[in-house]
Amino acid sequence: MGNVILALILLAALPALSCNRGNSLPGAGGKPTIALVLKTLNHPFFVDMRRGAQEAADRLGVTLQVQAAEREIDVEKQMQIVENLIQTGIQALAITPSGSREIVSALVKARDAKVPIVVVDTRLDPKAAADAGVRGETFVGSDNYEGGRLAGEFLVKATGGNAHVGVLEGIPGHETGDSRLRGFRDAVKSSPGVTIVASQPANWERDQGFNVFQNMLQAHPDIDSVFACSDLMALGALEAISAAHRTGTIKVVGFDALDDAKKAIAAGTMEASVAQFPAEMGRVAVESAVKVLHGEKLPPDINVKLELVTKDTVK
Amino acid sequence: MNRARQFGTLIGLVGLCFVLWILTPYFLTVSNLLNVAEQTSINAIVAVGMTFVILSGGIDLSVGSIVALAGVVLGLALHDDRSLGVALTLTLGAGAACGIVNGILVSLGGLPPFIVTLGTMSIVRGAALLVTEGRPISGFASSFRVLATGRAGFIPAPVIATATVYLIASLVLTRTTFGRYVYAIGGNEEATRLSGVAVRFHKTMIYGVSGVMSAIAAVILTARLNSAQPIAGMMYELDAIAATVIGGTSLMGGEGTLAGTLVGALIMGVLRNGLNLLGVSSFLQQIVIGGVIVVAVLLDTVLKRKHRG
Repeated sequence: MGNVILALILLAALPALSCNRGNSLPGAGGKPTIALVLKTLNHPFFVDMRRGAQEAADRLGVTLQVQAAEREIDVEKQMQIVENLIQTGIQALAITPSGSREIVSALVKARDAKVPIVVVDTRLDPKAAADAGVRGETFVGSDNYEGGRLAGEFLVKATGGNAHVGVLEGIPGHETGDSRLRGFRDAVKSSPGVTIVASQPANWERDQGFNVFQNMLQAHPDIDSVFACSDLMALGALEAISAAHRTGTIKVVGFDALDDAKKAIAAGTMEASVAQFPAEMGRVAVESAVKVLHGEKLPPDINVKLELVTKDTVK
Repeated sequence: MNRARQFGTLIGLVGLCFVLWILTPYFLTVSNLLNVAEQTSINAIVAVGMTFVILSGGIDLSVGSIVALAGVVLGLALHDDRSLGVALTLTLGAGAACGIVNGILVSLGGLPPFIVTLGTMSIVRGAALLVTEGRPISGFASSFRVLATGRAGFIPAPVIATATVYLIASLVLTRTTFGRYVYAIGGNEEATRLSGVAVRFHKTMIYGVSGVMSAIAAVILTARLNSAQPIAGMMYELDAIAATVIGGTSLMGGEGTLAGTLVGALIMGVLRNGLNLLGVSSFLQQIVIGGVIVVAVLLDTVLKRKHRG
């Protein structure tokens, strides 16, 4: 008991020792500092995004601070990172939200600290953002709905309009995955021969893609094609297909065009993947943040191109 | 002896703060220290329950899942237009119920706590996902969110909640017979039983305390994120165990204090904050945090050996 009180008193005394040295120091070396907060750095997509962002930052002469949570779904950790970065007096924040609604609470703090926000890759939930009075200067990202539609149209063509599709979804409630799914569903809706026989979340992860698709295949042996909302899940599904000795009989379409997926497409075990250009996203994000610092007005949306990678176009 | 070890941990925290003060001008500012305190609150509160359990010679791996389920209960209750009082009662009740089930399985079922709580970790997480169909429940009234966003003077509400929890919990641990029994059960369960203490009942209650603490943490987390996520609280058990152990509580039970746990939680919080401020890559951060846990426990063990001669 006495010890708890002692510890609390000592901690309460700490702020008294502080001397606000932070106020006298702007960004390092007078260069403006832009923070890029990613969902995670253990995914090639975000590693590419960091590369593109770093190149742009070097070119434009700004300091780039890149931080990410250990796990993609850890929005509370991402919030802590944002809070901590605000303390270092960053001039602008580019962020790929781990949760479209949850991150709004952190962005409120950025707004209060007068740090402009560029939202990248995953949109904010419009209602949550409006309720909290948070506004991104712009949104830089792929049109995920359009990407889902591309994948759907391709699958309809590749199967001649006759398919039993298993769908691997991302984490439920993630705007990115939900949009891809909507695009895909809308694209196959008009083909009566194409039915979605199962649709389950595999939470963006490769091992879950494996397990979930293995289970799907048990429940629906008639599945002859797969749409996975990300390549990691698609690659998991490919392994499940190979474990079931059905390689070549099931058409797999993924999203992201990761290197491993491109190899699979070249080898013919996978049909197609929708390519996003994360490095491009990183570049545009930093450029947009710099424009904001120069007082330029930005359009509400900046779409980064999407491309369908198939056996014919894979490099 | 205990006191000397605790000062060791506290000196570690102060030393860490000193190093960060040298390395970055942004660390030792009022706003950043309040920021750290606020960020630490959730882990610190979960770690209170963990300390009770570990002191009694057990372990509770289900705390993170209980945070998620209690949060979901809270979210559903609030969206159901229940009053704040009712919603909070349901939340704490859900946490207590989960903890008591753990306790009953451990004490009456005679199963190892590691196995029991490993099982309930999965069961409770599954329940949270099932109830919500995997989707977060979000958007709450500001009258509720004030529990995380509010300030009394300049002190954030979660910090006040944490201080209150620690004061009450350490009163319970040091000034009540229940508290004595927590240490006694962890020190020598058989001897405690033979001296007429209702060990099974008290063990059940200890896990109940852990469940309630997870539920309190869930309230703060939900208010902070303005969202109750069924996937929330993953790995919280490891952070809470780390805070407890860094704070000098013995995993064998019977030895440790809540003050130590608070300092342990703050060491982890300060470290994460400092590494962010310094712009250390997130991969390196994991290595540093792991290293600090190992070094802290190593120092503790060495000191202990010395004291015992």
